[in-house]
Amino acid sequence: MNIKQYLKNQLPVIVLNIVGMTLLSIFLWVGGNKVESILLIVLFWLLTLSCYVGVKCFKRKKYLDELLGLTEQLEERYLIIELMNIPEKADDQVFYKILKMTEKSMLENIDLIHKERNEYKEYIEQWMHEIKTPITAIKLICENNSYEFTRQLLVELERINIFTEQALYYTRSEHTERDYFIHEVLLDKIVHEAIADNKYLLRQNDVEIKVDDIDHIVYTDNKWIRFILNQLISNAVKYRNGQLILHFYAEQIDDKVCLFVEDNGIGISESDLPRIFEKGFTGQNGRIIQNATGIGLYLCKKLADKLGIGIDVFSNSNGTSVKLSFHINDLIVQVQE
Amino acid sequence: MNKYCIMIVEDDLVIRNELLTLLGGNGYKGVIAEDYTNIVEEIKEKNPQLLLLDIKLPKESGFSICSKVRMFSNIPIIFVTSCNTDMDELNSIMLGGDAFITKPYNTAILLAKISSLLKRTNSAEQGEVLEWENVILHLGSSRIEANNKQMDLTKNELKIMYFLFSHAGTICSRNSIIDYLWDNQLYVDDNVLSVNINRIRDKLSAIEVVDFIKTKHRQGYMI
Repeated sequence: MNIKQYLKNQLPVIVLNIVGMTLLSIFLWVGGNKVESILLIVLFWLLTLSCYVGVKCFKRKKYLDELLGLTEQLEERYLIIELMNIPEKADDQVFYKILKMTEKSMLENIDLIHKERNEYKEYIEQWMHEIKTPITAIKLICENNSYEFTRQLLVELERINIFTEQALYYTRSEHTERDYFIHEVLLDKIVHEAIADNKYLLRQNDVEIKVDDIDHIVYTDNKWIRFILNQLISNAVKYRNGQLILHFYAEQIDDKVCLFVEDNGIGISESDLPRIFEKGFTGQNGRIIQNATGIGLYLCKKLADKLGIGIDVFSNSNGTSVKLSFHINDLIVQVQE
Repeated sequence: MNKYCIMIVEDDLVIRNELLTLLGGNGYKGVIAEDYTNIVEEIKEKNPQLLLLDIKLPKESGFSICSKVRMFSNIPIIFVTSCNTDMDELNSIMLGGDAFITKPYNTAILLAKISSLLKRTNSAEQGEVLEWENVILHLGSSRIEANNKQMDLTKNELKIMYFLFSHAGTICSRNSIIDYLWDNQLYVDDNVLSVNINRIRDKLSAIEVVDFIKTKHRQGYMI
């Protein structure tokens, strides 16, 4: 509270008192009182007045400063009204009532938005499940009838599947609740599954695949990792430079199992590297290749963060290497031993 | 050979029929559920050796069917579904499902799951022996034999020979061979296939078999 402003607001009271003082002094002087006693009375009056204004100002400031401090500490500030006592002053009570009403309508709105968001998420999830039925049907039809054109259809189908998965995981990543399920996973199994998911895409583009012997076991959610690998593979195909060579290998570095996905594509320029995980960032490569969305890596990073997996990208003009690092959980290993 | 009977419980007509075709083409006998109101009785009656079960079904959910089937039978159950939330996966395991495959599934993975659950892996583990025109393929020891002479085959060569032997008498396109190798996690390309075929031919001529693998121009290979 600004004291100057407060005193300004108290001006009518002070002016009223000074007018009263002057009038009393004149009355007493005309009545033949001594100047000394008049001065004494005025002095006492002034003293009482300044005491009153001072104490009131101090109490008011203390009360309001406390309230302000409390509000600032709160994470959800609109809830301050729940912590306030009902004020005594009539005008304060009106403000209290206004705040209470504001809070209520605010909470109602937040509730509504939450509900709508959840409904939307549920709808998306349901839609994903429904779209997968026709995708599966087309895939089965194509695989049962192998012609050149069904192979091309299968490539496009894999792309459709990548995009739908992207939308599904995007919706999931926006929500705070836990959607994953940590269990023991053979790392090489996920790698082979991810390659199988993109079989026709990789075959069509004559990609050379190298998978070293990977015999590490990690504790994570295999669907999420598979999704991340799918995005990485799809990026590698998109940003290839001539004959693409994809190399998967794993190493144990300190207390982490690191899975590397290496390609010989066009690479990412050094100035773009720090920003590749930003939503919507496409950088220089995005200007070369048309259908860059800036969503894939953003999602990878977000999911990796949620799972507690490190994701690092190294790149030069000869290609890009993505490192996924899984912590080795000593506790699980100990329990098993 | 006695065909394994696999029952498909799936409400989507197209997927159901395509699965039938797929299973039929891979040496299984597929049957479909007809009456969704009394699916459990139908399973009892048809007595399949394996069950492909969807979760979202018109009358009764796949989970409840699974737990009912478990009351009288121990047959392998594969959940084939588009619900890929973790709760569903957990549920399916808790209720006695043996595998959980999400749509859109890779047919190779589905077939591999089926055959491993039916303990009929086509791979080398069983030491199976295949024979065609006096050439014998030993899967267990990865060897090819003819005229009482033997040659060792590499992993790639064995898989290629296995594919040709199992389609003996028909033309196998290069694409279908490469597809098969990819499904077995051998990521070869066109050139590597040619190199491998040439090596196999060299090995065959070393055991005095000539012109065993015929090249059909623009079509593929045939034995």
